[in-house]
Amino acid sequence: MTRVALRSIRSHLGRFVMSIVAVLLGVAFVSGTFALRTMMAGTFDDIVATSAQADVYVRGTEIASQTGGGSMGVGGNRTLVPLALADELAQVDGVSAVTPDVTGPIILVGSDGTAVLAAGGAPSFGLGYDPQDPTTTIAAGRAPTSPGEIALETSTLEASGLAIGDPTQVLLGGALTDVTVVGEVHFDAAIAGAIFVMLDLQTATQAWAADGLVPDIGVFAADGTDTDRLLADVQAVAGGDTEAISGADLRAETTAQIREMLGFVGTFLLVFAGIALFVGAFIIANTFQMTVRQRQREFAMLRAVGASPSQVFGSILVQALVVGVVGAAGGIAAGVGLVAVLRMVLGSFGMELSGAIPLDGFTVGVSIAIGALVSLVAAAIPARHAALTPPVEAMREEDVRHEGGAARWSGALGAVLTVGGAAAVVLAATDRLGDGNELGLAAGAIAALIGVLLLAPALVPGGLGALAWPAAATMRPLGGLARGNVTRNPRRTASTAGALMIGMALVGAAAVIASSTQASVRSVVETESTSDYLLRSATYDVPSGAVDAVAALDDVDQVLTVEVAMLAVDGSVHDVVGVDRALFERALDVPVVSGDLAALDRGEAVARVSAAEENDWQVGDRIALEGSTGSQTVTLGAIVDTQAIDTTLMVPQGVLDELSSPAEQTINTAFVMLTDGADAATARDDLTAAVQPFLIVSVMDNDEFADALSAQVDQVLVILYALLGLSVVIAVLGIVNTLALSIAERTREIGLLRAVGLGRLQLASVVTIESVLTSVFGTLLGVGLGVGLASALPSVYADSGFTDLVIPWAQLGTFVGLAVVVGVLAAIWPAVRAARMDVLDAVSYE
Amino acid sequence: MRALAADPSTDAQIASARGLVKIYGTGAAQVRALDGIDVDIARGELTAVMGPSGSGKSTLMHCMAGLDTATAGRILVDGEDIGAANERRLTKLRRNRIGFVFQAFNLIPTLTAAENITLPLDIARRPVDQDWFDAVVDAVGLRDRLAHRPAELSGGQQQRVACARALVSRPAVVFADEPTGNLDSRSAAEVLSFLRRSVDELGQSVVMVTHDPTAASYAHRVLFLADGRLVAEVEHPTPDTVLDVLRDLSGPARGAHTSAPTAARTAEPVR
Ligand SMILES: Nc1ncnc2c1ncn2[C@@H]1O[C@H](COP(=O)(O)OP(=O)(O)OP(=O)(O)O)[C@@H](O)[C@H]1O
Ligand SMILES: [Mg+2]
Repeated sequence: MTRVALRSIRSHLGRFVMSIVAVLLGVAFVSGTFALRTMMAGTFDDIVATSAQADVYVRGTEIASQTGGGSMGVGGNRTLVPLALADELAQVDGVSAVTPDVTGPIILVGSDGTAVLAAGGAPSFGLGYDPQDPTTTIAAGRAPTSPGEIALETSTLEASGLAIGDPTQVLLGGALTDVTVVGEVHFDAAIAGAIFVMLDLQTATQAWAADGLVPDIGVFAADGTDTDRLLADVQAVAGGDTEAISGADLRAETTAQIREMLGFVGTFLLVFAGIALFVGAFIIANTFQMTVRQRQREFAMLRAVGASPSQVFGSILVQALVVGVVGAAGGIAAGVGLVAVLRMVLGSFGMELSGAIPLDGFTVGVSIAIGALVSLVAAAIPARHAALTPPVEAMREEDVRHEGGAARWSGALGAVLTVGGAAAVVLAATDRLGDGNELGLAAGAIAALIGVLLLAPALVPGGLGALAWPAAATMRPLGGLARGNVTRNPRRTASTAGALMIGMALVGAAAVIASSTQASVRSVVETESTSDYLLRSATYDVPSGAVDAVAALDDVDQVLTVEVAMLAVDGSVHDVVGVDRALFERALDVPVVSGDLAALDRGEAVARVSAAEENDWQVGDRIALEGSTGSQTVTLGAIVDTQAIDTTLMVPQGVLDELSSPAEQTINTAFVMLTDGADAATARDDLTAAVQPFLIVSVMDNDEFADALSAQVDQVLVILYALLGLSVVIAVLGIVNTLALSIAERTREIGLLRAVGLGRLQLASVVTIESVLTSVFGTLLGVGLGVGLASALPSVYADSGFTDLVIPWAQLGTFVGLAVVVGVLAAIWPAVRAARMDVLDAVSYE
Repeated sequence: MRALAADPSTDAQIASARGLVKIYGTGAAQVRALDGIDVDIARGELTAVMGPSGSGKSTLMHCMAGLDTATAGRILVDGEDIGAANERRLTKLRRNRIGFVFQAFNLIPTLTAAENITLPLDIARRPVDQDWFDAVVDAVGLRDRLAHRPAELSGGQQQRVACARALVSRPAVVFADEPTGNLDSRSAAEVLSFLRRSVDELGQSVVMVTHDPTAASYAHRVLFLADGRLVAEVEHPTPDTVLDVLRDLSGPARGAHTSAPTAARTAEPVR
């Protein structure tokens, strides 16, 4: 039987090609994700290994656990250590070098006069050059020795277009400084596109450790020193407020944190791989359903000569296994190719990832297993059907439909799931599930999606009948023929359309969420912001020099900043914003829920409604804050309902300064208030001129600010669309596949039509109409479902700033238009094949 | 035998062939399905074609209806040179001037009987002449079955629908390849008398292949093929005169000949 199965797959390879391609695409995504993750982990491991080469580190004690959320980084949750400790550590026995970590933000101006920004959001680092540090070497020129000198890391030098000896500028501590490039520094590892600028140690200390505090101090051991003993000795010298940790442990800790972060990225990508595979499974199931039907007589003959049902079943599963394994093998290769392309693209942006594309046994094993499993599961139902059909019945000329009992059951189940899912969503949307709202929404959405998939066959006759009506009415008889073809096997049409539906549901939901978010952001800006202009930075940190320069302008009355730092709030790390009361009086119009904003003048904190609810805070409660430079308990003085400042807690600027060092604070936004009677247009020119030297700062009015925020949403949307595009591509393959196979099934019919005078173009049109109908049907179902579910979101997430529901009709219309295009594209190959059929061959086809 | 027309394009014949040759395959597997056929099909007559299995009857129908291209020879249908026509031209011809009825599988399963009947007109975007449609439908006696799908019709009814479809576009000539091959004698009689009436009452020209002497007796004229050649002809046939000719043809001398093409046919690859 196995031999029969393999023969048959070889002689009908064409029928299986689409299935193989579907598995291939899904698996490519899976293996690509794994390979990418391994490669990125490897790159970051290298970075960790080379950037943390000391034998022992002294760092501050932990002030909050990582579990608080909000903070992904390494810093922000430990106290700082005094720089002075470095000298004491140098005296410890067996210490060869001590390197305090003097580091902070810096912006480098490149040869073209613009800021050198890191690729892909990688950070810009300024470092104090420590001649003692054994991990950095001067590759050319010399080390910086005075405030006017810098050295650049090799790839930073390349990216900046500067050369040794060139004069340029850096933005340091909020001010622009003239400097000269005096050297090129080489690091041992890949640096993933980050920008590194080295200052002399003294300048760096002044800039980033003026208060005499640094995040950590590295200690290098002399040859032959026992690390454990050194660790104990260092800890003894450093004292109780600090923690000594061996270099190996620190590296392991950092690596683990990075792994966790990459894990999130990987999980995110795997979700899309899962969607792709789910969609692929539909194609495989469809293919097997159709090939099984075409070969019904072959199976009947095998049964008639004594093959048992389980042998027939097994032989089909063997074919599925071959499809799965072949597809998975191709998928692994394609995944590696995908990552190679990605690496090339990233490389061209200056983000180097390490050498070889890793392909470990795990990736290969998982990919093959997934490919095989998906194929087996998808083929199981058609295989069972083939095995159980009595031989006599299968021998019969007309195809017998077996859609009785099972179809009714799945239809009923689909209806129950759809209604139940929709009900859960509505309950969640109307806030009747309390804490279960979000869960209800998610479960309801999934139930509704599966429900509609199950229900789809029942919707085909009516739905497609209605959809096809215009075509049937205007294009006689082509439209009617096409309608007959797509409705004659509802289950097949439904699962073909279902593949597209899944992707389109997600796309539709994403579109609604994105446009609603944009509208919400816009309405927040419009209702809350009363300032004349805002300053924002490309690095999300407006240099304080720019703020000062703007404040000094004649037509500017006041500049109000929103500064952000990471603090432990009641023991877990959160963004905390430092503000002045004036901000709420002049720049933002914010409804106060309880307490009053004068609390800020009294040194008290202000919380947003959602944060207050989440933490069960009342006005008058005491909240413990701890930062790297101190700790303090503040009273909650007011609760406000703002969406403009998206943070847990706001404290007076003075409080924030006491708890964190300036290097840790970033100015997220600066609000500019003009003097009375100042001309807005002139003022804008003045502002633009004032911030121009700071390169990364832009001046916006409220509208432009809203636009900028919308643009960020658009960027996310593009990535989502690109990822979902894969499932749409697979769905298109599914349509091609179904058309090709159903044309093969109707060969005689096509011959007959041609014999009574149907032209080739007309035949191709029939196929195209079928394709477009299927694709539009799937798109309408999917978009309808996605939009319906996404419409429930604003009521559930109103607290998180999701206030407006906007349904982007034009965009949804585009999706339907796209579905027509997709349908036409999918029809090309099957239509050409059908048109090429020889009339007589077709009529006598068996 | 009737004398061949000196000029085949005159009005007396609706279709004619001169020196028609059709060769399938190459080398050792070569089959001369039609081996030099000269024939005139008279306008307004029902012509039957008979002959042993493998004698080339279907091939002749296919070539004359423009469904297949001849290897050599000239075919005129209603004054149109079929051999010289390209695919577009042939499609047009099939649509407007030629009706065809196959032995089986004549109908589109997704269309109703009425839709199947008007299919050629719909394809050609020609309006349906309601009087003619009614005449044809009444002639085949399917008035109460028009809304049914093929699966809901008996074999005889299906073939009558197919005949109605072949006639509804008022083609110049209808070719029917064993239209009653799958039918019992009663259903066969329904279809045959309809075809004859379409000739007598509606003025159609019909060519039909059959193996059944009774069926052939409905015709004005019967042509006999053997080994791809036209070997005999009977005017105003009765079942008995047809049987006599058949008995003559399948004499010992012929038997040896007919077995060879039959073997070739079974050797045809299964598709
Ligand atoms: N597509 C083909 N390829 C090769 N040979 C063919 C093909 N079609 C027909 N033949 C051969 O041509 C000869 C004539 O076939 P044809 O189908 O015309 O016979 P027929 O008279 O219609 O027979 P029957 O009464 O069995 O239908 C046969 O020998 C047959 O084997
Ligand atoms: Mg025949």
